[in-house]
Amino acid sequence: MIALVRFRLSGFLRTGRALAPVLAGLLALGILYGGGRAEPAEAYGVSAVVLFPVLAWQTKILLDAEPDVQRRLSLVAVGPARERAAGLLAALTAGLALIVVALAVPWLVGGVATPTGPGDRPIVVGLALGLWAHLLALPAAVALGGLASRAITRSAGYGVAVLALGVVLALVLGISGPALGWLAPPLLPTARALTGPIPPVTGVLLTGWALVWAAMLLAGYAQSRRRRA
Amino acid sequence: MRLEDVWLRYRRGGPWVLRSVTVEIAPGEAAVVLGRNGAGKSTLLQLAAGILPPARGRVDGRPAVVGWVPERFPAGQPFTVQGYLTAAARMRGLSRIEADKAVRGWVERLGLGPFQCVRLPQLSKGTAQKIGLAQALLRPPGLLVLDEPWEGLDAAARELVPEVVGEVLAAGGRVLVSDHRGETARLPGAREWTVADQTVTERVPTGERAMVVVELAIPAARVADAVHRLRAEGHHVLRVRGHDAPPPVTRLVSGAAVEESS
Repeated sequence: MIALVRFRLSGFLRTGRALAPVLAGLLALGILYGGGRAEPAEAYGVSAVVLFPVLAWQTKILLDAEPDVQRRLSLVAVGPARERAAGLLAALTAGLALIVVALAVPWLVGGVATPTGPGDRPIVVGLALGLWAHLLALPAAVALGGLASRAITRSAGYGVAVLALGVVLALVLGISGPALGWLAPPLLPTARALTGPIPPVTGVLLTGWALVWAAMLLAGYAQSRRRRA
Repeated sequence: MRLEDVWLRYRRGGPWVLRSVTVEIAPGEAAVVLGRNGAGKSTLLQLAAGILPPARGRVDGRPAVVGWVPERFPAGQPFTVQGYLTAAARMRGLSRIEADKAVRGWVERLGLGPFQCVRLPQLSKGTAQKIGLAQALLRPPGLLVLDEPWEGLDAAARELVPEVVGEVLAAGGRVLVSDHRGETARLPGAREWTVADQTVTERVPTGERAMVVVELAIPAARVADAVHRLRAEGHHVLRVRGHDAPPPVTRLVSGAAVEESS
């Protein structure tokens, strides 16, 4: 299965398709950090929200880079379950790479303020919270990208529609407040929580919420792929 | 391996492509899948290979290693011949050394040596088809599924398909071949599955009457003795010729047909 993950990542990189989402991500982060300096954790919280559609789109591009017949050849070689898992693993790996870039960017463009007062969080804590926020967004983004991939939607139009609808729903439901917020992965609640001190309970709740959503979306992907080779 | 009352359609509520199909193939057996364009030959093959799951019914006893040669090899991929085949071998669980060995063997056998460092999109259709054949054989398959394997292949490579099929069968594998051009005269003794009206009907080979032509090379001095012995064992000696210019196998097969009918 690792061989298939490597094969897909190298196909994704060699076709040059990897470039588009990275550029889109950099553009979005550039706009985000162009506004001025912010406290690291707070900035990273917003960065994770901004990156969510980019990560989902990157997943769709990665999964769609392989011709349909090659996907079937890979399926025959490793079996259906591993074929699906390998695609998701490749997307998670590419997503992690983009997250590393996203964590580094604000330091390069001077988008973050170093702690000055005794009440500020140390840089390491800010970085760790930023990584946590991005990691919460990644699985749901990968699952959404998978649901929008050509293997499931079969046409470019439906694919874009699923992607756009998923992103809009995640953001709108997140903005709408606690009543409907649980109907989407906790992107905005995480960003909001990062503006102030986070009690451990909130952290655990947000993590659990994100994991439940990721599990549901990934199960949906696996189920949809069952009838679509 | 057995397909038991298998039904298949591409989407819920769509038309059935295959209905209540029950077929069976034993180790060492080959089956030729015949039928019009669009009858469902490729669908049946992909069902057998495990690519398409049946909507109803089940597929039992599919071997662990399956080789599938698609009708058209997807050449639009950013890899060289060598890189692609090595990746395909690694995917099938071969170690780096085993993979290199398997790739080298098939590259040599299929005459892909000069193309080793060529990128897949630059290959001609026939050469790309050979890559499709090679990737299915990197690990000896328990089930080899060939979708129109003769399409686009040159004369030399065409002869190779029955040879490879013979090897897979000899190793106890099963082989499914689809064909709409009658090339399957090259696979004597195979079962015949005809796909029509969403179902599959089988014509069992007529056991004793199925004939195969075997070419032998014998020292000229001993030819009379050898022919006499073969005839004594009940074999039908078609003719004796010089060893210098071997004619293509097809002529011999059609020769056998003429011989039988006359």
